[in-house]
Amino acid sequence: MPRQLKFAAFFVLTLTIGVPAYAQIDFTGEWAPRFHEDQPERVAGPELGDYLGLPITDAARMRADTWDAAIQTLPEWQCRPHSADYIWRGPSNLHISKEVDPVSRQILAFHGEWLRSVDNIYYLDGRERPSANAPHTWGGFATAKWNGDILTVTVTHLKEGYIRRNGVPRSDLATVKEHWMRHGNWLTVVTIVNDPVYLSEPFIRTTDYQLDERQLVPPYPCDVVEEVDRPKGVVPSFLPGTNPSLEEFAQRHGLPLEATRGGAETMYPEYRKKLATMPKLAKE
Amino acid sequence: MKGRLIILLVAAAALLTSFQLYAHHSFAATYFEDKQQTIEGDIVQFMFRNPHSFIHVEGKDEKGQPVRWAVEWGGGGQLGRQGVTRETLKSGDRVIIVGNPGRNPADHRLRMLRLKRTSDNYTWGTRPGETFD
Repeated sequence: MPRQLKFAAFFVLTLTIGVPAYAQIDFTGEWAPRFHEDQPERVAGPELGDYLGLPITDAARMRADTWDAAIQTLPEWQCRPHSADYIWRGPSNLHISKEVDPVSRQILAFHGEWLRSVDNIYYLDGRERPSANAPHTWGGFATAKWNGDILTVTVTHLKEGYIRRNGVPRSDLATVKEHWMRHGNWLTVVTIVNDPVYLSEPFIRTTDYQLDERQLVPPYPCDVVEEVDRPKGVVPSFLPGTNPSLEEFAQRHGLPLEATRGGAETMYPEYRKKLATMPKLAKE
Repeated sequence: MKGRLIILLVAAAALLTSFQLYAHHSFAATYFEDKQQTIEGDIVQFMFRNPHSFIHVEGKDEKGQPVRWAVEWGGGGQLGRQGVTRETLKSGDRVIIVGNPGRNPADHRLRMLRLKRTSDNYTWGTRPGETFD
């Protein structure tokens, strides 16, 4: 076969055979959160003193017990975005876009943009993780790699955040692992938080989103104002042992107070057997 | 049975409908949601903004002493879809507000449930959909 003919045949083959360079599932699009899991906590908001199912340490419990929700009226807090690990659970719609290498067509990065959040970048270009002393941010530093059709993300360099919006903290030493899975129009993300300060075991949650082609994440200008008239320098908080609201959750739902204090044990199904033997607070 | 089915369908629709939510902090953690308080006074400042709007109202406490209330309302985008603009309320407007009291009494906060302006009987919170997250 003449050399030119061979070359032409090869050229035609490369044009006609669709060979994906990688098994790359496309996560881009407009995603609407679905609240099948933990709707009361995620939308209306958690109740004070509800630490059930959280593998928290004593230090985390103390931080939550001394937390006063009024702190969020301080100028420094008003426009604070949810951190990269919590934002998945937040009530905001999500827009995912991607950056593609113009030559190799490989995906270099995904960007996750939620209402009221920062541009969360998930790097797929193999870049090195920065020094431990590099700045910590709300989005953290996130790298990703393909694991079959699953995108596995590792997030470090996070500012201190929270795992429940009733004051339960997550430290800036935490590492977050995420697994993104797409099944048709559904996106499921597993987040696994490891925190050497405030968690005694990994904290694992799943969250679902549904593709919504009519959605658009709107702009979200946030202004800092004096929300509440209070003396300068006052930081709302409770001294240990003085928070009057910590038993409300147990009373409202007729639960054992000890169970509402959380801890790794309360995550597991077998805890139900112990629950049945524990004294409960009378319902209000 | 039919009633339960309708309730289930409505609940499912509410969960599955795509909607924008603006919840930033936990209201349950911030306010006594099972209590209501009524205040009356003059607006001294209306901050129409995100994440939530605030109205500052000067009135008197139960002892007759002057007090400045901070009333939390919806975010600008959410209120805008209900017809509320930054021009809706002005300093000096006399208003009666019903809300959930804040957990920290020193803050004199309320979460807005209903508002009435006495000069023209303008109201918010009395019609379906006039709520905020």
